[in-house]
Amino acid sequence: MTVKAERLGRSIDRAYQWAFRSFLVLAYAFLALPIVLILLMALNAGELLEFPPKGMSLRWFVALFDSEIFIKAILTSLQVAAVATCVSGLLGTAAALYFVRHAHRFREALRVLMIAPLLLPEILTAIALLFFVHQIGVGNRGGFGLYVGHTMITLPFVFLNVSAVLYNFDRSIELAARSLGGRTWTVFRRITLPMIKPGVFAGCMFAFVVSFDLFAVSLLLKGIGQSTIPIQLYDYLRWDFDPLAAAVSSVSILISLGVVLLADRIVGLRALRF
Amino acid sequence: MTLAIAPDQPGVQRPSSPLRRHAPFLLIAPALIFLFVFLVLPYFNIIVMSLRVPARVGMYAEGFTHANYARALTDGFYMGVLGQTLLVGLLTTVACVLFGVPIAYHLGRSRSRWSGVLYTLILSPLLVGVVVRTFGWLIILSGNGVANKTLREFGLIEAPLRLMNNEFGVVLALTHVLLPLMILPLLGNVQAINPNLERAARSLGAGRLTVFWRIGLPLCMPGIQAGGILVFILAISAFVTPAMLGGPQVRTMSVLIVQQLIDNFQWPFGAALALILATATSVSVLLYIRFTAPLLRGLR
Repeated sequence: MTVKAERLGRSIDRAYQWAFRSFLVLAYAFLALPIVLILLMALNAGELLEFPPKGMSLRWFVALFDSEIFIKAILTSLQVAAVATCVSGLLGTAAALYFVRHAHRFREALRVLMIAPLLLPEILTAIALLFFVHQIGVGNRGGFGLYVGHTMITLPFVFLNVSAVLYNFDRSIELAARSLGGRTWTVFRRITLPMIKPGVFAGCMFAFVVSFDLFAVSLLLKGIGQSTIPIQLYDYLRWDFDPLAAAVSSVSILISLGVVLLADRIVGLRALRF
Repeated sequence: MTLAIAPDQPGVQRPSSPLRRHAPFLLIAPALIFLFVFLVLPYFNIIVMSLRVPARVGMYAEGFTHANYARALTDGFYMGVLGQTLLVGLLTTVACVLFGVPIAYHLGRSRSRWSGVLYTLILSPLLVGVVVRTFGWLIILSGNGVANKTLREFGLIEAPLRLMNNEFGVVLALTHVLLPLMILPLLGNVQAINPNLERAARSLGAGRLTVFWRIGLPLCMPGIQAGGILVFILAISAFVTPAMLGGPQVRTMSVLIVQQLIDNFQWPFGAALALILATATSVSVLLYIRFTAPLLRGLR
């Protein structure tokens, strides 16, 4: 290679590296921008969602706590997410225990069925449930379909997380406990459960956060007066466009973040594998 | 009668009766019943519903018909919307690959102490609901929004640009919503690449660009394929983003289907549209797998 060509090659290399770096900065900024802007806009002192904001104030958070519809939506969201998390936590953990330890025949089919709600488009699942609850005569009364839908969508998250922990489970500890005379239930309660706790908590955390943000299922299956935060926000944005919406968004972000931090404090999410 | 002790059962157990042997099945039974009743049956029910006779009053009339499919497939409007939906899905997938590969390539091998922060940055959108994220883009893209204000401030434009209520806005926001799902499968892929391969290529005189093009990118193909499928399916079935940012210009199938179901109460027709969308999605994914298969040859 001649000296000239080598120098040219090196400057191409440098230009490429420079372009790559600036592209990365842009890409990360692209990811962060909308969320940062929402948090910023929620602190806007002005009447409108305008940029740049007219000073800082907490007035829109105060307005939020006076807003009956949004407070009700937050409570509904919390309630639905809590119920869905508990039910899918129980169903998913038990199913994972069977799947990892006892399933031999139809193993692949079982796995696909268990994570099917994750593989199928949410809107299609919502439509399927909408037809179904009406045809069995339950309809949207009491939000039965809403609870079922949220449980359905969140079930794979618990199942996958608990399964992951169970695969790395050293069963000789259980055997030791058993050989020392522990009964099945005692061994489960004292040995198995504490050891799979990180998976259960991580799964439940995902379930809660996912349920909290679920849209299509809630839109089609909610009962009367059962709007969750995403639904209420969507409705609100159709007619109004003010910092109150940003304040609601911020609160919903903070609740999700709080759940994640809580799970991290309890079990430590660093061990999590994505 | 045989005494079956499952291989992974501790050998200290009493010989088990059939009841005892199948007792563990009770663990998964509730979940299976739940999924069968509320997922498998309802999905079959969509097919049945799509073949029912539409009625003016009530959900549907007696009897079965294929008229719903005939109506959807022969009406240029619905086929146009289907085409637009597939186009939005395709553009979003391409954008996610273009953004996702460099990010994953960088993050997957970064030893920087900032990598934890960057991970959080990439995963954080998953914690924020899609309505909230789309609302963020509404703030940015609207006629009097952040983007137009900033551009005008710098004197780059005079009249506000039309950044939403068109395909651009929808694809941009969808890319933001789905990018983490592209990056996650890719990250594992990038981390599995043996760095010695690249070092060897570098020591033989290849520039960084050549190394990326000839070694990094081909080895990322499985992640690109998997992430691409995920992004494409989710982009096509997305409802919130096209509904909020698409305006009357960009109509996607999901928006149309929900309209048929909720506003017009046309359940059999809505079901037929949903199944047409699902079929189109499956066919596109199969074609995609077929055409990307040569790129994966020799990698597994």
